[in-house]
Formats: sequence, C-alpha cells, structure tokens
Amino acid sequence: MLLAFGNFTADPSVNLQLLIGGLALGAIYAVVALGFVLVYKSTDVLNLAHGEFLMLGAYFALTFLISENLNFFLGVFVLLLVMLVFGLLVHYGIMRRMVGQGFFAIVLITLGIATIIRALLLIFYGPTERARLDLLPQGSFEVGGATVRYVDLIIFGVVAACVLLFFIFFKYTRLGLHMRAVADDIEAAAAMGIDPDKVYAMTWAAAMVMAGVGGLLFGHVTGAIDRSIEAIGLRAFPAAVVGGLTSLGGSIVGGLVVGVIEQFANGHLGTKWREPVAFSVMFVVLLVRPTGLWGRKDLERV
Amino acid sequence: MRSDGLDLRIEDLTVVYGGVTALDTVNITVPPGGFVTVLGANGAGKTTLVRSITSLLYLHKGRVRRGGITLGGESILGRKSPDIVKAGVAQVPEGRKLFPNLTVKENLLCGAASRSDIDGIDESLEQNLELFPQLRPLLSQTAGLLSGGEQQMVAVGRALMSQPALLICDELSLGLAPKIVHRLFELLTEINETRGTSILVIEQNASLALQHAADAYVLELGRVLIEGTADELRGNPMVQELYLGGGGEAHTSYAAIERPGSRPDAHGSRPPVAES
Repeated sequence: MLLAFGNFTADPSVNLQLLIGGLALGAIYAVVALGFVLVYKSTDVLNLAHGEFLMLGAYFALTFLISENLNFFLGVFVLLLVMLVFGLLVHYGIMRRMVGQGFFAIVLITLGIATIIRALLLIFYGPTERARLDLLPQGSFEVGGATVRYVDLIIFGVVAACVLLFFIFFKYTRLGLHMRAVADDIEAAAAMGIDPDKVYAMTWAAAMVMAGVGGLLFGHVTGAIDRSIEAIGLRAFPAAVVGGLTSLGGSIVGGLVVGVIEQFANGHLGTKWREPVAFSVMFVVLLVRPTGLWGRKDLERV
Repeated sequence: MRSDGLDLRIEDLTVVYGGVTALDTVNITVPPGGFVTVLGANGAGKTTLVRSITSLLYLHKGRVRRGGITLGGESILGRKSPDIVKAGVAQVPEGRKLFPNLTVKENLLCGAASRSDIDGIDESLEQNLELFPQLRPLLSQTAGLLSGGEQQMVAVGRALMSQPALLICDELSLGLAPKIVHRLFELLTEINETRGTSILVIEQNASLALQHAADAYVLELGRVLIEGTADELRGNPMVQELYLGGGGEAHTSYAAIERPGSRPDAHGSRPPVAES
C-alpha cells in the first residue's frame, strides 16, 4: 500500500543511480556525524550546533576561495586555520565555563551557540547570498547506466582519509590517548596529570576543522551556499545515532546506511518521505540497540 | 629515577562544599620519605583530603576556605592538577578509577602524562612489569574486564609511572581479598624503602595500615581526632575500641568492626554513597 504513493521501479540502472547518490549523500552525513561523535566521545557534550559549524565552514570557504580568490590549497589552509581558531574560541570563550555543569544545561548552551552563529552569518553575509562552490572537478562518468560525479568520488576519498587519520591519531598518539582517557573518566585523567582543559580545547578545534572540511565538500554538492545548509546538522543526526554516538567507524557506516536509505525513499516514495524514513530507521535502531549499532556502553566492573 | 621523597605539609586546612564543612582546620605532615596513614570512617573527610591535595575539588564544587598545602616547601594549593602531578604527587584513587575502555598498557601510559622523556617512560613501564609480573600477559587487555586485584595493581602501577615524590593511596583495600591487600601493602613498604618515595595511605582498614605506616592520624567528621606514631595509635585504647575491634588484635577486615553510627561495610562491597 505504501508503495502506491511512490513511483516504485525495479529498473536496475535507476536503483544503481539511487545507490550511488545515497553513498555520496551518506559520505557527507558521515563527515558531519564524525564531528558529532568526536565531541560527544571526548567531552560528553551533545553538540547541537554542529550543523551551524558546517554552515560556517561553507560560508568561509565561499569567502576565502571564491570572493578572495585565493589559490585552492592556500585557501583551504586558511579556511581550516580560521575554523581551528573558532573551535578554540568556542572552548575558551564558552564551553570551558560549563565543565561540570549538567548535561542539559550544556546541550542548551550548544543550541545557543547555533543561534548565535546563524545570526552572525545573517548579519555579515545577508539573507540572500547565493554563490556556488565549483573548485572541485565538475565532470562525471557512466557506470552501468548510472552517472557518477567526480565530486562524489573526491568526497569519498576525503572522508576515508579523515577516518584513517582519526584512527591513527586516537590509537597511536599521546594526545589521542589522553583524549580517550578524558572521555573514559575526566577525574581520573586529571589525577594522572592530563589537562582536561587542553584536551577539550583540542576536541572543539578538531570538530571545527572537520566542519570546515564538511562545509567545503557539502558546498560542492548543494549547488549554492545559502542559509538552508544548517539543516544538514539535523539531517545527519540519525546517521550519528544509528552508528552509535561513541564510535568513529560507526559514524561512517551510519552515514552511508542512512544516506542510501534516504535516497531510496526519495526515489521510490518521493522527496517528502526522505526524512520520515531516515528518522524511523533511527527509532528502530534505538529500540533494538539503545547505544546504536557500534556504540558501546562503558565497560565498568567495580 | 627520583631518589628522594618530598615532604607534604597540610596546615590549618578547611574545605567546604557549598555551606557544608568537610574538613576543619586539619594539620597533617608527611616527612620526606615517610609513610603516613590517615584513618577514618566514611564521611570523615578522607577523600576530600585527597582532592584538596590534588586540586580536584572543583569537579565536586568544593573549595578550600583556609589553610595551606606545601610539597617540598613549595605551595601546591590551588595549582592546576597537571602541575601538581608534575611537582611529584601521584595518586591511586578510591575505587581504582582505571580507564575502563583503555588497555592495561594504555592505562599505565596515561600515568606518565606529565612526563616528556619517552625513553624514561619505557623504562618505568618495564619497572612496573617487574613489580607486577602478572600484568605482563594482560598488557593488551581492556582494563574494565580485569579482576579487582588486577585492576588495583594497574592503578598502583599507573600512579608509579609519573615517578612520584609522594604517592597517595585512597582506600587501597576496598573490595579486595585480604591476601591481595597484604601484598599491595608490602609493595608500598618496598617502594617506600628502596625508592625513598613518601607515602600517604588513606584507609578504613586500620590494623593493616598501622602495621606498615610510621605515623598515623585519625580523622573524624572533618577534624584530626588523634595523631601519633603508628605504635602509639595501636596502643591507644580509643583507637583499639573504634578501629581495631577492641582487643588490640589485628583484623584484616573492617567488616569485623562494629561501631555505632558508622556504616559497617561488608567486605568486598563498595559504600553505596560516594564520600564527599
């Protein structure tokens, strides 16, 4: 009955196209989810401003790469540097004062940060700024009757590289180890001489840089940069939750799964089914596995 | 390796949580290379004392109202906890507080967070494995899955990774089999004697702590009630009555001691409410 609302088709090339589109969308979700997970894992904060971080990244990309017309690599470097500074600003200006406060108080603070970023972007960029990011190769090629864009492949590569980088960072560096220790037990970490303040600052900086990467990539697939970009935060939320808010690898798989499901809902049922289906998947996963597919409950034996 | 322990001096320390006074004009001294124990029941202020020394009160909304704390003559009161570890204070926290999702090796390495000499850290790791050979095959195990005794060994080893001048152990005996607790106390004595590390042991297990420590303090409701050498305290009728079960006989278990107004913890269980 449900299918009668949509335009269901069994045509393999259409389904292949939906799969490719879904994976491309999913890769974007994965970048956003990675930012969510990074902050949640390390600081125990559910950052509702991450979509706005990404928006900030997209607008700054516009400024440095299009308006200022910097060389691509220099522009990306400046973009990520500025994002890093903003990340430190978020920590030292705001979040630092909230350490030790209640979970919901902190979540509300992130909502406040989201509002401020949206307002500032409105003030400095105006409501109608619309331009395109077109710095990555725009072409495409055909596979089995489906079109694959170069941009999507690049996004895939960047996401894979980010995941690998994070994995190496957390597993093999001292700062990565200290970040995981603070995530496990902040008081014990402080008692060992790890400075939670420094770790948190690095976390927010890293999340902002990830949002810069995400904004740059997402800006290339949305067509134009405008205020609707913030919605990516909410749309990527099911991806982060499905993967498990504490698992970096899970956020990638969660992103891809939710992206593909959304595209199929979009293609077969219609655009308006996209978000209801994505959130339904999230609900089902939460009912069956409250920690998400790859999230883990803290091991504790006392 | 640091060969000399540093002295810890706590002078007129008063600590409050909101309006509640947890420590009231407390004076405690650990001489350089000394072995001191602070005894007391739940709620006596023992953990608050540890938090004051290590600057972790802020995580519990507590603050020092009055007094001073010095290590080796330098004030450490109010300095950030990483600086205090760097100054030479390491702790084995109450309830062990390992990082449950990290491996044993990673837990140990976290103990060296204040150090930057990579070779020295490897050396300390090796020293720890000689001290606790049981841990060697467990290095890549997730710490949360170890037994209580193994966890406590990791907790002690982790604290030693910073090469402390002062080692603080908070309720080392809690929830562990008497045999393991005895072994751990013997190790503390060994570390105290061979490395010269100053040791401060916060304990409910009075008889065991008094066997190993040189000096002792009894904390009650935030005040120092009795102080003296461990021998003096063992002979003190009040200490015998309240903490050693009356006969002066050494008990290895606090559960054997009945005392009005205190919570008699069954051996092996944690107190239901965290002490503040």
